[in-house]
Amino acid sequence: MSVTTTRTDLLTIEGLGHVYEGKQRHEAIGRLDFAVPEGAFVSIVGPSGCGKTTMLRCLSGLMSPTRGTVLLGGAPVIGVPRDLALVFQDYSRSLFPWRTVAGNIAFVLPRKQLSAAERKERIDESLDAVGLSAAADKYPWQLSGGMQQRVAIARALAYRPTILLMDEPFASVDAQTRAELEDLMLAVRQRFGMTILFVTHDIDESVYLADRVLVLSKSPSTIVASLEVNLPSPRDQVGTRELDDFVQLRSKIARMIRDQSTRRPSAPAIGDSESPS
Amino acid sequence: MTATDTSWGGVAQRPRRDFRRLREFAARWGALFALGVVWEIAARIADSIYFPPISRIMHRFVELWLSGPPNTLFLTEGVATDIVPSLTRMLGGWSIAVVLGVLLGVAIGRSRTLGDFVEPIIHFVRAIPPPALIPIFFILLGIGNEMRVSLIAFAVIWPVLLNTIDGVRSVETLHLDTGRVFEFDRRKVFFGIVLPSAAPKIFAGMRVSLSVALIVMVISEMVGRPDGIGSVILGAQRTFRMLDMWSGILLLGILGYVLNALLALVESRVTKWHRGAREGVS
Repeated sequence: MSVTTTRTDLLTIEGLGHVYEGKQRHEAIGRLDFAVPEGAFVSIVGPSGCGKTTMLRCLSGLMSPTRGTVLLGGAPVIGVPRDLALVFQDYSRSLFPWRTVAGNIAFVLPRKQLSAAERKERIDESLDAVGLSAAADKYPWQLSGGMQQRVAIARALAYRPTILLMDEPFASVDAQTRAELEDLMLAVRQRFGMTILFVTHDIDESVYLADRVLVLSKSPSTIVASLEVNLPSPRDQVGTRELDDFVQLRSKIARMIRDQSTRRPSAPAIGDSESPS
Repeated sequence: MTATDTSWGGVAQRPRRDFRRLREFAARWGALFALGVVWEIAARIADSIYFPPISRIMHRFVELWLSGPPNTLFLTEGVATDIVPSLTRMLGGWSIAVVLGVLLGVAIGRSRTLGDFVEPIIHFVRAIPPPALIPIFFILLGIGNEMRVSLIAFAVIWPVLLNTIDGVRSVETLHLDTGRVFEFDRRKVFFGIVLPSAAPKIFAGMRVSLSVALIVMVISEMVGRPDGIGSVILGAQRTFRMLDMWSGILLLGILGYVLNALLALVESRVTKWHRGAREGVS
């Protein structure tokens, strides 16, 4: 299945599958085929335990899958590519507590390619983008959870990846902060023109943020549906969520996921793409 | 981090904590002072030649080491002949142990297989009391400085080594993953992630080692060529110069206290983040 679009595909996943061998053989990913077009905001949503984290680790090159290939800009992903950054769910264990906020960001900037002034500029710009300019000299553990995740996002932004993968980044912050961070991601995408692949278990969030939502089945995961999101931009936390299109789409996805979690995994329907309206 | 800035929460507690520390400090010194007074009175009543009053010990202490000319900061020649060699070998042996302990510890901690091989050996060898090895160090390295420095290094490497292994093994996998995502090279992973993560445990090991180093230094100086604080104490005892003996003991106490305080100061600066992250804010 390939996403039909006029834009070129930045990330292409072909026949991706992963099996954890060992005493308890576990097939985490059945077969995944999809592509993320350049500049797109694609979200992936699925029932809990659908192998989302395994998938992201394979896509980012932190782990090599047992089957299939991942191509970034046409080149196979072996090890983590320079053009890719990953924001983890667990910000508190991803940020370095022995470095300040600015220090955490500076740390990922290659010293050789950037002058001191350029590094400073990158740090300021990315902190400004996440609204944390005042916290540059704080330590991560002096900040609230939402702020810490902003730092992790700023760090990824300063690295200037062409694609940003996010692994349930807002799963452990409160609802108010989550809404703020969602809008932050939309603003950041606008400002830096990045391609974003966003994994979440929150259906509303997946629809609210993305141009396209991929619905995963239970593990061994396959793609159940690829749905285009035709909601007007800029999105609005209240307005967008009360649009008929939004409500219908989220209900449709919710039904798919409910069916997935009640039904026993049958033969995966590969290439079964559908689109609303 | 500024102590007065409260806008991000948590840090506001600082002044009160400083005040509490001051009180603890006063209490500790007060107790020490009281002990001195009790000693003084008890010694004067008992009037034993083995337990002279603390005032006379202190007087002799000053005479021995702090009554030099102003151009040597009032330090006497005794400082150069007794204290400096002792301190040099103690810190020398300890430094060697720290460097070797950290290097070996990182190597063992990073490799499961190496660890499985080496750990039983480590636990066996470190169980041997270092003084029991003095004869073998005598034979191999003579009765001079090499023997003493090596003995100290051998005795104090274990806490550093074991704590480093432990520290390196408990590095967050997510920190290492983060390093991979942002393409850290091996050097950056080592100095930027592994070493800082393990630093609190390494420092804990270094502190234990430092106090053991002082003990082993004294023991090593009581054998072999007479040289250093250990031999001053032993020599004074053998010739019934009780005041000299007690001065040496007092000196050891002061040295141990000061060195430990200095290391604690360095530790709290380097691993300030650790305490903060632990006490937690959010």
